[in-house]
Amino acid sequence: MITTLIDSPVANVANIARALRTVGAELVVTRDPDAIAAAEKLVLPGVGSFIAAMRWLEENRIDAAISTAVKRGATLLGVCVGHQLLFDLSHEMGSTRGLGLVRGEVHKYEGSLPVPQIGWNRVKAAEGSALFDGVENGVFYFVNSYAASNAPDEIARADYGRPFTAAVQHDRVFGVQFHPEKSSAAGLRVLRNFVTWT
Amino acid sequence: MDVIPSLDLLGGQVVRLLHGDFANVTAYGDPEKVLDSLEVPRGSRLHIVDLEASRSGRPVELEAVRRLAKRDLRVQAGGGIRSLADAKAWIDAGAEKVVIGTVAADAPEVLREIVAALGADRVIAAVDVRDGVVRVHGWERDAGATLAEVLERVESLGIREALITDINKDGAMRGPSFALYRSLRTKLRIIASGGVSTLGDVVSLSRIGSVGACVIGRALLDGRVQLAEARARVATPNAIPERVIPCLDVRDGRVVKGINFVDIRDAGDPVECAVRYEAEGADEMVILDISATDANRTTALDTVHRVSESLFIPLTVGGGVRTIEDFRALLRAGADRVAINTAALRNPRLIADCAAEFGVQAVVLSCDAKRIGDHYEAMVRSGKESSSVDAVVWCRRAEELGTGEILLTSVDRDGTNAGYDIELLRAVTSVVRISVIASGGAGSLEHFRDAIEAGGARAVLAASLFHDRRLSIGDVKRFLANEGIPVR
Repeated sequence: MITTLIDSPVANVANIARALRTVGAELVVTRDPDAIAAAEKLVLPGVGSFIAAMRWLEENRIDAAISTAVKRGATLLGVCVGHQLLFDLSHEMGSTRGLGLVRGEVHKYEGSLPVPQIGWNRVKAAEGSALFDGVENGVFYFVNSYAASNAPDEIARADYGRPFTAAVQHDRVFGVQFHPEKSSAAGLRVLRNFVTWT
Repeated sequence: MDVIPSLDLLGGQVVRLLHGDFANVTAYGDPEKVLDSLEVPRGSRLHIVDLEASRSGRPVELEAVRRLAKRDLRVQAGGGIRSLADAKAWIDAGAEKVVIGTVAADAPEVLREIVAALGADRVIAAVDVRDGVVRVHGWERDAGATLAEVLERVESLGIREALITDINKDGAMRGPSFALYRSLRTKLRIIASGGVSTLGDVVSLSRIGSVGACVIGRALLDGRVQLAEARARVATPNAIPERVIPCLDVRDGRVVKGINFVDIRDAGDPVECAVRYEAEGADEMVILDISATDANRTTALDTVHRVSESLFIPLTVGGGVRTIEDFRALLRAGADRVAINTAALRNPRLIADCAAEFGVQAVVLSCDAKRIGDHYEAMVRSGKESSSVDAVVWCRRAEELGTGEILLTSVDRDGTNAGYDIELLRAVTSVVRISVIASGGAGSLEHFRDAIEAGGARAVLAASLFHDRRLSIGDVKRFLANEGIPVR
């Protein structure tokens, strides 16, 4: 099955493409809404600002294309800010509506640890999670100031001063707050699990 | 591990004595006002030392303890408890526990009597140690017993907690006696005391198996450690691994290594080294282009691109970055983060500009520090020339400007394998909140541990040690894990 990587300018597309190819994905990298709407397996990357990433999706009608694909039964993985975009709402500089594909909201880290979180952190996955098969208690690389916490669709959590949602799954929609493409073997395993998931 | 705020009282005021010297007093004011300013939450344990009592042998600050106990604080009070009557006086004043020093070391029969009357749970044995010898009577004389003997006696009475203070470290802000605590073989829950001066000290103590709590005095009073942050960090001590980072010093597309930044020799192909290091468990890779000139910048970008294409861990690149455009070019070539050194010293705004453009996570300050007289200076031109800027002040300023991390290299130690410069690391980690990568001097497994444990580094970097295969990254990570330091 072909994996379609959304070619967002607000993302580190090249690294994710290389990681996906390494785990055996047959990859198409595109920003064409029609191709995205017709895709069976989609990856939505993102770094930096939620607002900038969301605006780009809207201006290029890719938000609607993603929703169409998911309604048609496509499988989707959001990565980092791409993961945050899946939620109903983000509170990054005011409130911005997300894609609403998973339930919950994204908030700034509160507490006493330095923000952004930059570095490796241990992730505990829910038992039987297909995405984390083989890396149920893995360590992944994070760069983020915002995260969901205790999300209804949470399938993995980590701790940064307090617990936060490290990954979500709602039916065929997945999201990971960390950077699998920078998380060495554990990250590649998660991507492989996604690419081979049916 | 519990983090217990500690107040020394003298004349109803919070004070600190340096090295236990009553002639060397710093006053901090009324105890309740001090607790408010430290944001000590209700239900917290609080350690109170009655300094006058420790000298005279009679409880003095009972009224202060009465007031503190009413604030829903679990007070453990001590200082000069020589008899059951003294101990009862503290408990009657509202203290949850008494901290018993001199008689624990000096007069086992009195200790036994106190335990029998109050119960072992209400007694904490305090043992003060100087140069391995137990001291009593306000530290003014030897107890005539070894630490092991005293602890054995305490344990045999059913007491479960022992507060161990290294007198040489107390209030001196040079860090606790990690080696002392690590060497203890006891079932007692150890409360570490003395020398805790940074958040890193608290975290490091929490990783030593026998240590169940630590008391913090001056570091809280001086604002060097925030109680809430310290408690948050030790609540999940194993979540965030410390990092081992191999460094590739690259010149003209080859990995090279020099001693004290001179005497350069070839150490291999960058891509081959990088792939091997990731397989061995490297958490991150650093490439420093040590000969960056306009002529070979293209070669350097090509090396970065080739290495980044072969890695699935974060890559930091530095060397010769002068402008925001140089920074951008390295990110485009595949770097995740870019280290700035000389150019930032000449134009500190470069840090803020790069942070605004690319995010603080992309900005690393590379600081080459050299000891000059009684301080460290930030060096420029690959460590060859002093900028005349104080290295510690510079690191603090760089954090304010927006660097996400500091790569701190000791020019004196680089390539010597004599160990990281712990004093330099402590000087910087005690004034910044961002992570510091220790660099320069790694020569043994213990050096890596010490940089993290005593130096407060959140990552340890080495080059020649790994290139020459004297140690593998796996060796280092296994050793750190055995020492209780979480690794990936």
